[in-house]
Amino acid sequence: MLYEIKNLIKSYDGRDVLNIKSLSMEKGKVLGLLGPNGAGKTTFLEVLAFLLPPTSGELWYENRRVNFSSLRLINMRQKVVLVQQQPILFTTTVFNNVEFPLKIRKIKKQKRAIIVEELLSMVGMGGFRNAKAHTLSGGETQRIAIAQALACSPEVILLDEPTTSVDVENRITIERIIAEINRGKRISVIFTTHDMIQASRLADEVVFLFDGKVAESIHENIFSAYIETNEKGQKYCVLQGGLKFNIKTERSGPVRVSVNPGAITVSQGQNENRLKENVFRGKLIQLTDEHSRVRALVDIGIPLSVLIPKEVIDDLNLSLGEEVWLSCLSEGLEVF
Amino acid sequence: MSFLIDSFQSALMLIWALDRELLEIISVSLKVSSSSTLIASIIGIPLGLSIALNEFRGKRLLITILNTLLALPTVVIGLFVYSFITRKGIFGPLDLLYTQKAIIIGQIILIIPIITTFTISAVSRIDDRYRKTALTLGADTIQTSYIIIREARFGIVAAVIVAFGRVIAEVGISMMLGGNAKGFTRTMTTAMAMEYDKGEFVLSIALGIVLLFLSFLVNIFFNYFQGRTRA
Repeated sequence: MLYEIKNLIKSYDGRDVLNIKSLSMEKGKVLGLLGPNGAGKTTFLEVLAFLLPPTSGELWYENRRVNFSSLRLINMRQKVVLVQQQPILFTTTVFNNVEFPLKIRKIKKQKRAIIVEELLSMVGMGGFRNAKAHTLSGGETQRIAIAQALACSPEVILLDEPTTSVDVENRITIERIIAEINRGKRISVIFTTHDMIQASRLADEVVFLFDGKVAESIHENIFSAYIETNEKGQKYCVLQGGLKFNIKTERSGPVRVSVNPGAITVSQGQNENRLKENVFRGKLIQLTDEHSRVRALVDIGIPLSVLIPKEVIDDLNLSLGEEVWLSCLSEGLEVF
Repeated sequence: MSFLIDSFQSALMLIWALDRELLEIISVSLKVSSSSTLIASIIGIPLGLSIALNEFRGKRLLITILNTLLALPTVVIGLFVYSFITRKGIFGPLDLLYTQKAIIIGQIILIIPIITTFTISAVSRIDDRYRKTALTLGADTIQTSYIIIREARFGIVAAVIVAFGRVIAEVGISMMLGGNAKGFTRTMTTAMAMEYDKGEFVLSIALGIVLLFLSFLVNIFFNYFQGRTRA
């Protein structure tokens, strides 16, 4: 096992931002950490990069328990490298930035120059060797930061939201690099994202993090909501924009709900839908192929992600922009 | 008014002629001030860096104390150091009183708070991502400190400039601990004070001009480093 985690807690001012009971990660894989903003993804990566000591619990790396107060932690850090969400480069040239990890590893000057050139061309930044690092765009900075991380010849590379703040062209390049370093260089990759589609496209395995905890199932369609009770004593939750869902819960007041995308059914007419609960009219805005099923994004006032089995999609013959009806059993809603 | 102009002209003549006594005074001043600035930087920069980067109990109190020490009058430092190095003091046998070393010690005490507090504020302003990046790329504590100092060099160089300006212009410590011995501990400021007492303004003004000119040169020199930082 690459990483093993046992009852790991990281808290700030008494509030747990990370609380992971048990998690193992295999070597040589691409792992996607999926979760909304504030789920503790960055904190988790910093712990995995041995930069941030957990408040309690155990972190094991390659079957050895990590001692965060050990002076030998630096040897561990030299094997695992983190590329931050908005990486910062040192105030010098691109070349010197990528050369830095090689320099501190005491690699000979001539060899350093060869490796830097190789890495720069791998991330498609070959012509930028003498450019001042601070003149680069966000996407270019991200690519140089990845080259800098690769110069460490790490066993693991941790990428914090590598494509969040870059344009489409840079996103495609970065995704290509991620696949390449995993397959070509056999480096384990762990990346965070809040893009479900990107996670399933790039990762061998996806872990969902919510509120600092690993969620059992992959929660999507997370919304802030308010739970109220009608005159019959039935609970319902009101989402942004006034959408109302029937729900079974003991909770009341402000909550967060997730709508399981697999529990939603799609039909083309209002009456064709066999479920009669939580029925909404919406517009189909996106369709994505995901192996055995298709992910549809339907705008019902809020964008709702729906998973449709392949055999169902063939019968439906959906086209983008079309009006569809969704329904969802109250069991498909979960309250946090 | 004509007296001032006359003195000013004579002062320029003195500088032009590279008067021996004048050169001697300048060299003592530069030697003492650069030594104290160098030693105080060696102590103050790492001290400021470690205070800025570490969290510990009493950190705020320590910074408040350092800030208070910025207002320390030179006369108080003079008295304080004097009490240690006078014949009857603990360090009396070292025979430090009325030597250049005594002035340097006093001046170090004067500017350590300046360099330390300026370094703390320069380093605190530096983005924490630099530290994290250096660490994750495998740098040890010293290599990480080097990266942070490099990124904060604009502010740290400013600290050194201010410190040098403070010691080259101070008179209390040099007078009390150096004693204004001709050719030995006579600095530009003590000489100026003495010449003023004597009513001899020519050398005083000449020294004043030289002092300002030297400060100007030092600032140009450091500005060169700061300018490069912004690239």
